[in-house]
Amino acid sequence: MAEKKGFFNPTLMYAGAFAVLNVIMYFVIHKFWIGGSSFLPMVGKLGPNKTFLFSFIVNMGVIVGALVSSATNREFTLRMPAAKVLPRAILGGFLIGIGVTLAPGTCTTSFVIGLPMLSISSMLSIAGMFAGGFIVYRLTIKSQS
Amino acid sequence: MDFKLLLLYGFLFGIGFGFFVQKAGICFAHGLGEIYMGKGKRILRIFLVIFIISTLGFYLSKFIAPELGLKPIGQLRGYGFYNIISGMIFGAGILLNGGCILGTLRQMGEGNLLFFVVFLSFIPGMALIVYVIDPILKQGYQVQNILLPELLAVPQPYVVGSVVILALFWLVMLSRPKKK
Repeated sequence: MAEKKGFFNPTLMYAGAFAVLNVIMYFVIHKFWIGGSSFLPMVGKLGPNKTFLFSFIVNMGVIVGALVSSATNREFTLRMPAAKVLPRAILGGFLIGIGVTLAPGTCTTSFVIGLPMLSISSMLSIAGMFAGGFIVYRLTIKSQS
Repeated sequence: MDFKLLLLYGFLFGIGFGFFVQKAGICFAHGLGEIYMGKGKRILRIFLVIFIISTLGFYLSKFIAPELGLKPIGQLRGYGFYNIISGMIFGAGILLNGGCILGTLRQMGEGNLLFFVVFLSFIPGMALIVYVIDPILKQGYQVQNILLPELLAVPQPYVVGSVVILALFWLVMLSRPKKK
């Protein structure tokens, strides 16, 4: 995605608004956005004090918010997946499921919450992500191009 | 706070997150791909903006409510070994299907049904760890929660101040126009 230079461009403004909203949520209800662990209710784990259930509901809101935004941008289009990309998507999803559960706080949460909290577990997870992503990039994406 | 009310607040905040994520086009899977291709400026600037605001906000929150402030996220398992392994598996997964967690949710909201398949595919992976692997591994886990200032034995304000200044400097460098 092309992006304008300088501080005051829409992409950075909206990214900043995401961060500000996350901090406000922490101030107001003492909770923050959680990524991967939020899906554990789908396998029957609600977490301590139903934390994962709360995060699951937040993330259902994220889908609705993206829907509202894309509809207002006229970017919303129902797209059916091509059959040939399904195996890769299923394998990717399966690996994500393993990754987010093996060590909590591994996923996108590390970038938007864990690292700003200066959490060591998130720093290690990000290092692992770069390595794992790079291996897949070299084996699949780069070899195809 | 009543749990139902908490869920309502959470859902409303979620709508806000989704709105801004879609507008900004945030996806760390695409971002990793851009970095590997040597075109990582866009995602680095997005990340640095989020990092600077969130680090300052989370740190300053303790002055409003002492129970807030910086907290370890997740757990450091097996002296970090499991964090690196799970990060690698997660990194491989997001590069394969082209969507991190935020990216997957955003794409679902945009009507890309492929990401509903990705979303449902989380279930067997999570179930495998929760019901098969975790019960075996848990007995050998060494679990810790550590923050960088504790590890360095340096007071939080110095560490927070240093990393925010470094991030700000990096952001300024990335935002400078190229000399022709």
